[in-house]
Amino acid sequence: MAELLLDPKIRLWVFLPIVIITFLVGIVRHYVSIILSSQKKIEIIQVQDSQVMIRARLLRENGKYLPRQSFAMRRHWFNNEDTGYFKVQKRAAASQNPMTDPGMMTDMLKGNVTNVLPMIVIGGWINWMFSGFLTTKVPFPLTLRFKPMLQRGVELAYLDASWVSSASWYFLNVFGLRTIYTLVLGENNAADQSKVMQEQMSGAAMAMPPDPKAAFKAEWEALEITEHRWALATAEADLLVNEAKEQ
Amino acid sequence: MSFNYDELSHTEIFDLLRQWRENNERRSEDVLYFSEVIVEDPLHKLGSEKYVVMEQVIYAALDCHYYTIAKLWIMMLSEEFPGSLRVLRYKAACLEAEEKYEEAMEVLDSIIKADETNSAARKRRVAILKAQGLIQEAIKELVDYLKKFMSDMEAWQELSELYLQVQEYSKAAFCAEELILHQPHNHLMHQRLADIRYTMGGVDNLELAKSYYCQALKLNPDNMRALLGLFLVTNTLLSHYKSSGSAKRKEAFKLSQWAQSEATKIQRKAQPPPTIPALTNMMLSLAVTD
Amino acid sequence: MSSTKAKDQKPEPVVYSEAALRNNAVVVEYCRTSMAALSGSTAGILGLTGLNGFAFYVFAVVSLWAMFLIKAGPNWHKYYVSRQSVLTNGFFGALFTYVLFWTFIYGMVHVY
Repeated sequence: MAELLLDPKIRLWVFLPIVIITFLVGIVRHYVSIILSSQKKIEIIQVQDSQVMIRARLLRENGKYLPRQSFAMRRHWFNNEDTGYFKVQKRAAASQNPMTDPGMMTDMLKGNVTNVLPMIVIGGWINWMFSGFLTTKVPFPLTLRFKPMLQRGVELAYLDASWVSSASWYFLNVFGLRTIYTLVLGENNAADQSKVMQEQMSGAAMAMPPDPKAAFKAEWEALEITEHRWALATAEADLLVNEAKEQ
Repeated sequence: MSFNYDELSHTEIFDLLRQWRENNERRSEDVLYFSEVIVEDPLHKLGSEKYVVMEQVIYAALDCHYYTIAKLWIMMLSEEFPGSLRVLRYKAACLEAEEKYEEAMEVLDSIIKADETNSAARKRRVAILKAQGLIQEAIKELVDYLKKFMSDMEAWQELSELYLQVQEYSKAAFCAEELILHQPHNHLMHQRLADIRYTMGGVDNLELAKSYYCQALKLNPDNMRALLGLFLVTNTLLSHYKSSGSAKRKEAFKLSQWAQSEATKIQRKAQPPPTIPALTNMMLSLAVTD
Repeated sequence: MSSTKAKDQKPEPVVYSEAALRNNAVVVEYCRTSMAALSGSTAGILGLTGLNGFAFYVFAVVSLWAMFLIKAGPNWHKYYVSRQSVLTNGFFGALFTYVLFWTFIYGMVHVY
């Protein structure tokens, strides 16, 4: 079949274990991140900000269904130079340095612990444990450019590029199994309908702008240039036109 | 849909309960009936769905005024989740059902204190005030709530209704407009605003009411209430425009005619029982003879 | 695929139910991933190499699409906004899964 013959024991003791280890580590990581994820304490001010943003957006999109006066009144409330909501509410700019915010820092740490750390640790361990094996061959020809990507740890200049080393096989698995995780773990989540429902209800409110000051400014600008076009101007005529068509 | 409840197996019961939950069917008495069957053994085999079922049973018990049953289930839950705000909310609901409003308020306040963003508890406070008949206080509370949670449609709707109760029509109209912003494709929202505008009266408001009734009819041609509203509005407008004449009067007249003919069509289709006087006749008696 | 979009009687404004659309997209995505994994394994067992394997992937995607359309029946617009997007969405994401499984099974069966 190939110009190289691999020992079948490599298949049993290197090739398969890497797949299984990667998969199981992914599963474990999922559950560890569930354990570690703290119930995020949301500040009332953040909720308020996000809800204001939603309302302003709705006004922009659906304002045409309101009479001009009502639209202008709402925009005035948001945008007035002196008393407008976006002008009066002074929000501190998002903290530039996340290190100053201890809560942020623990979040970052947790993210690192669950995402980056296992990659490095397991990757390093696999590199050390299974170093120097060629594990498999991709079933299609590849150019030489792929050599450093697919043959990490095996530096043979004359080896065909489609051979895959153990370390690279691990990384291929890490990236390729992502969709499988959604298949396996997503099913679990979907089983709990009530949870999904709740998230949908509160989800819109909880997605808060990371930097309220910038977001307010953007929304202010967007609202400022919104033109009011009364969508119901033709409602009566439309009804009568339909009537005329029917007859 | 009728079941012989005694013959259902446990899994079937849970499927049924889940179905009711997802469709927001209340069916409290049936739920209570099942709760007696499942309380012992099968519930504990259910895993995490168990708690949702327990919640369902609690609300069902409160609906049927079986306070002791509700309290029992709440006890079971609070043993599993001591200090949970959600369980605390059931307690508040229970107190509220028993009309112990003061205590319920205290519980709700403690929830809000623990979690400022708990919107459900805040809304319950409004509901309690409303139940006590303190409409003004309820309005005040709700306005405070809406300052924080501006895109809560339910709350806007409730506020609109509260304002209607105290006849603050312009404020109610404001809330109704807010509802339209949230759901511009819902004909009922347009119809609601039109109703309020019509009630307010005055030519400008009537013109707006006419537009909104038309929009509601455009979105749903079968909206009988909007049709009737349109008819009434255009008739009132006709009497207003008597002197001015012009295109506006013509349009109103056309719309009035159209509404009348449309109502006749629907009426004919529906074929009402003879005891109810035909709607068309009622409308005809209201019509301005031109 | 049970959920449908809300639709107005009138032709001009068509209102989609956001949740239903999302649910349908999730179902399609689920099928697509399964399809990629299964067809990848099949290609590996068959020992397809080179272009044959990719042609097999295209074949699998198209046949999955055909199955969706048969299942949806003539009322496909009740479930999807457009038929093309059902075919093309996530084409390359699933390709990655396909290649992984193909390589894996091919390695297991044919390399050693």
